[in-house]
Amino acid sequence: MNPTTGKRSNEELANAFNARYKGTYHVEVEWIMETEEEYRQNLKRLNVTDALPAVITDLRMLPSFYQMMIKEERLLNLAPFLFSDEEWMERIEPVVLDGCMESEEEIYLAPISTAAFSCSGMFWNQELFAQAGISEFPVTWSEFWDCCERLSARGITPLALHTEGTAWAPMLAATAELADTEDGAAFMKQFFPESYQNANGIQLAETLKRLFQYTTADAMHTDFDVAFTNFFSGKAAMIPNGYWMIEQIPEEQKEKIRFSAFPGNKLVSSTETFGWAVVSGYPKDVQKGAVEFLKFRTYFNQKEKQQLIESGKESDNPTTRDYIQTFLNNPQIVPNYQVKWNSILQEETLGDSLPELVKGKITTQEFLEKMDESILQFQKEQ
Amino acid sequence: MKIESKKSGIQRKYLRYTLALLLLALLLSILGVWFYLYGNLTETVSEKYEFMDEKMGISMDHLLRRSDEVMAECILNEDVQNSLRAHPLEEVEKSALSKYFAYIDLNHVTEYCYVDNNQNLYTRSYSKIGYEDFVESGFEAFLGDSYAKTQWFWTKDTLFKTGRKEFFIGRYVRSMEYAHPPGMLFLKMNENFLGEIVEQERGLTEDIRVGITDSKGNLCMSWGTAQTEELTEACEKIAACENLENSGMILEGERIKSGVLSAYYQADSGLSIFLLVPDHVLTAGIHRILFVIVGIYLLVMLIAVVISIYFSRRFTRPIQEINRAMTGFDGQNFSRTIHLDTHTELDQIGQSYNEMLQKIAHLLQEIKTQEKELRTSELNMLISQINPHFLYNTLDTIYMLARINKEETTMKMIQALSRYLRLSLSKGNDIVTVEDELENVKSYMEIQQIRNQSLFQYEIRCEVDPQQTWILKLILQPLVENAIKYGFCEIYEGGLIRICVQEFNHCLELSVFNSGVSIAQEVQGKVNALNGKAFSEIKDCFPDKQGGYGVTNVITRLRLKYGEDVQFCYEAEEEGTLCRIRIPDDGRENKDL
Repeated sequence: MNPTTGKRSNEELANAFNARYKGTYHVEVEWIMETEEEYRQNLKRLNVTDALPAVITDLRMLPSFYQMMIKEERLLNLAPFLFSDEEWMERIEPVVLDGCMESEEEIYLAPISTAAFSCSGMFWNQELFAQAGISEFPVTWSEFWDCCERLSARGITPLALHTEGTAWAPMLAATAELADTEDGAAFMKQFFPESYQNANGIQLAETLKRLFQYTTADAMHTDFDVAFTNFFSGKAAMIPNGYWMIEQIPEEQKEKIRFSAFPGNKLVSSTETFGWAVVSGYPKDVQKGAVEFLKFRTYFNQKEKQQLIESGKESDNPTTRDYIQTFLNNPQIVPNYQVKWNSILQEETLGDSLPELVKGKITTQEFLEKMDESILQFQKEQ
Repeated sequence: MKIESKKSGIQRKYLRYTLALLLLALLLSILGVWFYLYGNLTETVSEKYEFMDEKMGISMDHLLRRSDEVMAECILNEDVQNSLRAHPLEEVEKSALSKYFAYIDLNHVTEYCYVDNNQNLYTRSYSKIGYEDFVESGFEAFLGDSYAKTQWFWTKDTLFKTGRKEFFIGRYVRSMEYAHPPGMLFLKMNENFLGEIVEQERGLTEDIRVGITDSKGNLCMSWGTAQTEELTEACEKIAACENLENSGMILEGERIKSGVLSAYYQADSGLSIFLLVPDHVLTAGIHRILFVIVGIYLLVMLIAVVISIYFSRRFTRPIQEINRAMTGFDGQNFSRTIHLDTHTELDQIGQSYNEMLQKIAHLLQEIKTQEKELRTSELNMLISQINPHFLYNTLDTIYMLARINKEETTMKMIQALSRYLRLSLSKGNDIVTVEDELENVKSYMEIQQIRNQSLFQYEIRCEVDPQQTWILKLILQPLVENAIKYGFCEIYEGGLIRICVQEFNHCLELSVFNSGVSIAQEVQGKVNALNGKAFSEIKDCFPDKQGGYGVTNVITRLRLKYGEDVQFCYEAEEEGTLCRIRIPDDGRENKDL
């Protein structure tokens, strides 16, 4: 449950599954009022205490944890189920399947999502933009920085950011900006980069420093929920996040919240990020039910995607209309750093060093050294 | 005289039957209570202890969850997690971690041992255990294939080397972040850890046996005064339970040799907590109830005896009085009557006895009178029979004189008188043939015709064989005498007497008709009412003996000879009176009388 809005994620999905499989399977959901970051930390706690539920999400956003889960055989290999079910396979988007496959015989993240629901861009407050005399979202990064200046000049904080929880919001914007160059885009496609002490790393760090010039004072050492609150309370004009936030927009703000690709028509997306997994160790019938639930979700997402595409353009919700338009506008997809970079960098280094970088306590070089240290540390832990 | 003999037999029997009935009721009650309550009470008691066992099982669930939570806290502890990382802990951190486990929020931990994935052991400072000791202890095997489940196990303490069987809690400690080998945490618990479960149950007594077994039926702990054989049987019974998957009751009031066994299986630990209720505990309630019932019945019996004696006296005393009066009756003293006032049927019995006494006295008096009359009659008869030959000779002489003098009427009368007297005075059987009876009455009527010239004519019609049909003698003569005396009282000539003998409905019917005055209705009613009356009453019907002596004589004699079936009646006709007698059968004497 979203701590700010109180909305239950995927409630419609759970209800639809229970209605469809009444008498055969029943999915019980424990609705937890916590942030995404708290949820992910909770996954780790539940794992070491052997108390994980049968179906878990967000696993791909915890790279090292995900690898550990595979190594310790804590996840059910879904490949046999998928490859033996043609009907299911037909509904899976190839790009999603590729993203979820560990090898030809191993799939632990169900390719249930669709690329249409996995893209992240910039949500912006049209009302605040209008106050600064801006009617359209900037299409280039220079226009973006200019936009930030104009908003600041009007006394409006341009960005809602944070540093904890893999620094999700600022890293989305920074990696999108990095991919604006050909070399940067290639860097973002690397899995576990060997070093950040290069031009791309410098650009990333500089962009992060610049982004935090246009954010709120409470962005340091806080989680995404603080940035979320700041954005929807009107304290900031923009927040980077994905499609899934559309349903969390408060009713009274729906008319003024808009969505755009990052400047340069870029969307950040890794379809496997949203892959859900089945925990091994449960009885066979529970595992079978869990797999059936994931299969149902594939159908459900496909149906949602069709509805979104078909009716989204004419949706009453301007954010939805924006998202469809952006998604269909042939955007450049930038891989999600969360599935490419090591977990120590994301979960420790960024949280510890980014505030220091922003505050000027460490230099860009020192920041990049700490990023590289995380690589070594990660390798050591492996 | 013995005391018992003074008591009423009825009272004794009444008391005896009352006591027998109460004893029977007591016996049946005890049997009923035993059979009914044995099932119900033992079931109730059994259910009570089942519930208690389930409560203890649930307490064990809570305890396991509590230990699971504490172990989880340990696993999530930052230092514990750091101990699993590639970077080794500093000495000071190791020291702190060793002390950390001493302060975990779980009671009754006597020892602990945490082994990280770098072969470092964290124990109490005085526990001198090395990694080799840990490996030799074989404790890792108790964690089994579980990823990170809390394990309870009961084994010989080879880790801390006490050599005794102890209770341990163990769990793998996994890294939250990386795929490192797991650490292991073991807590050694003292007996109070599980003992608390039992101590919380206030309803448990020393007689109730409580125990904990592992999944193989090995006894881990036990409480109460149980015998080894009893515990062994209980453990074997629990070990025989199959398909144990979930926590819950696996034995609910199961009957075994030594009592009733209930057991709760704790799925996560594989332990079962059982409760054995011995038979004497199960039946203790029944014994108390039976004791109360017997007590109540004895009290009821005592009260019943006292009340029975009290109330029975109210009945037995008058009965005894009746008894005394009856047994003391000597046949002479009729004044010893009974006077009861019980307001029951006994009063009626006493009154009836008194009436009976009066009737007996009256009857006795009557018999005496009749005997006196009989003796007088017999005396007279004897006197009259002293010398009948003399009478006949005299009559023959008179007859001869009348013949010499040619007095035809006299001769005729003497002949008739002689024939009459021959039958009347003859000795022998009272029953004579109809022929003799008709001859006798014919002689009598001829004498009467001589005496009362032209007064009447007579007709005799006999439709039976007169020689083979019998009749009590001198029956017709009194009737003819009444006909002449009362029927012809108002005429002087022209009367008719018709005698008819015939058979009617297997009876011998004799009738005497006179054409004189019809019998008065009042007299007819009185005479006809004599049928069925007692002999004493018959005599009293005509106290002045006028108009009735002959009739009562005839009826009395007929009934004495033939019984109650004799019918005698007078019928008033337009021109005369008919007297009819019906005698059963052929007139022979009824020998049954």
